[in-house]
Amino acid sequence: MKKIYIQEEYCIGCRLCEIYCQVKHSKSKKIIKAFKSEQGQLMPRVLVEEIGHNSFAIQCRHCVDAPCVDACISGAMKKNISTGVVTCDQDKCVGCWSCIMVCPYGAISKDPGERKIASKCDLCEDEEIPVCVSNCPNEALKFMDMEDK
Amino acid sequence: MEKTDYLIIGNSAAGINAAEAIREQDGRGKVIILTEESYLNYSKPLITYYLAGKIPIEQTGWQQGDFYSRLDIDIRLNTKIVHLDVEQKKAISASGDKFGFQKALIATGGSPIIPAIEVDGGKKLDKKLINRAENIFTLTTLEDARKLKAYIEKNGVEKATILGGGLIGLKAAEAFLELGLRIELIELSDRILSATFDKQASSIVEERIRDLNSNIFTQNTIEKIYMEGNRITKAQLTDGSNIDCQVLVVAVGVAPEVPFVDSGALDTDRGIKVNQFMETSAPEIFAAGDVVQARDILAGEDRNIAIWPLAVMQGKTAGLNMAGSHYAYGGGFFMNSVEILGVSSISMGLTSLEPDDSRKVEVLSQFKPESNYYKKIIIRENKVVGAILVGAIERAGIYAGLIKNGIDVSNIRDNIISENFGLIQLPADYQKHLVVGEGIEV
Repeated sequence: MKKIYIQEEYCIGCRLCEIYCQVKHSKSKKIIKAFKSEQGQLMPRVLVEEIGHNSFAIQCRHCVDAPCVDACISGAMKKNISTGVVTCDQDKCVGCWSCIMVCPYGAISKDPGERKIASKCDLCEDEEIPVCVSNCPNEALKFMDMEDK
Repeated sequence: MEKTDYLIIGNSAAGINAAEAIREQDGRGKVIILTEESYLNYSKPLITYYLAGKIPIEQTGWQQGDFYSRLDIDIRLNTKIVHLDVEQKKAISASGDKFGFQKALIATGGSPIIPAIEVDGGKKLDKKLINRAENIFTLTTLEDARKLKAYIEKNGVEKATILGGGLIGLKAAEAFLELGLRIELIELSDRILSATFDKQASSIVEERIRDLNSNIFTQNTIEKIYMEGNRITKAQLTDGSNIDCQVLVVAVGVAPEVPFVDSGALDTDRGIKVNQFMETSAPEIFAAGDVVQARDILAGEDRNIAIWPLAVMQGKTAGLNMAGSHYAYGGGFFMNSVEILGVSSISMGLTSLEPDDSRKVEVLSQFKPESNYYKKIIIRENKVVGAILVGAIERAGIYAGLIKNGIDVSNIRDNIISENFGLIQLPADYQKHLVVGEGIEV
């Protein structure tokens, strides 16, 4: 499957990935609205970590053997067998945070919206390339099959 | 006698995941799942969410309805196995049905422990009495939750008494408080969640409960109960105090539900003993989930750790091996996530170790009373072996990863307790593995 690969040596910590992710997952899909009127209800599903000159953007790795899927008590967290994408079904999620408890990447968060549900990268399934990747100015994130690397 | 290739006794996390794993390997072998319950499948941890009214009863089923037909699995409800003959390889149900099998999985889970509390009039509390009583409940099955919920709604219950401040007791407390009930929680040890919380973490959650017009009695238990007909009315505690009871939930713990076998037929200790392939001492008989005693990577010995994620992993491991693969269970450790009205908490591993120079145990902690924030990391021989997070649980799994992978954290000791601890502070090699590596092998 195609996954997002992190090339940390090219990351300059500009956080454009976070911004585009947040807009993409907003209701309005508009940058101003997403950061003004929807503020507090939204957060990016990719996280830039930074200390000094070192930085990288981390989002769900869509693990082969995903611990979050094993730990999920509601059946919300599922790995699509054909695409390999791990997604959280918001209707089924009960906000027990078992996924947060087991994700070794710390890549799952509490959704800041009104409902208690988990929030994570969905690989922008309706886009050809996830928006964090397509809007990275430096190719610090790449979307590809490992075989093509 | 009916014959099958694979007989799975138990229809919860371990049993269902085993069946799925068998089907991945063997598309044709006959698979029968037996359950003594009358529901197709439901997630045990969701029963308190149903009790709290957060989800409808239909949503407790965590596999889709077509699970069994899609995977060509034969499911038998209301079928309790009363005798498992491991030599003749057959199982006999309460109604006399016989199932011959090539390979069997025991995934019967656990059943609630009932303390033999004195009942006024000379009897002792037991399963029969609880079944007969209108307002005494255990809380480990959907049927338990359904009856309890119906009783509360029908009788306008305003206060619930919970015996036991462990995992189930706290989950029950969470549900009752969500429903707007007051609770009285009675716990034998000096704090709630004593298996995974320290005094500090417990006191944060205890205060939150007390703020809600509820009460916690620690270092206490119920000495005697008083009944009027089939209803409990009053409980007398060890310290001599009496409390009025509208309902009583007995939640002092769960014991492995080992099915009846001939004596010596299966090695058991605190649960059925299994090797890393989830094989029991009897050939072709496997066991997984809350009924087993399996590898605990922190204790250095096998232990019964009755939690959902491990039941899933053990079930998968058992299924793969039953179908002829050779796949080892990596082991696990205890972990738990609980949220009491807005205060979330996650605890994992060996949380009760005290600082000890000779055993190289270090304990780092940070407490901010104004925000109910508490974090504690326990390090033994330079490796994280336990963590408690209260108030802010974000990125808790990074600690789970450090524990599971036995990462040396001596170089990042100063950062490990920080509030914004993340991957960037991790030791370089491990960080590279997580950030640059493909997917997960951790």
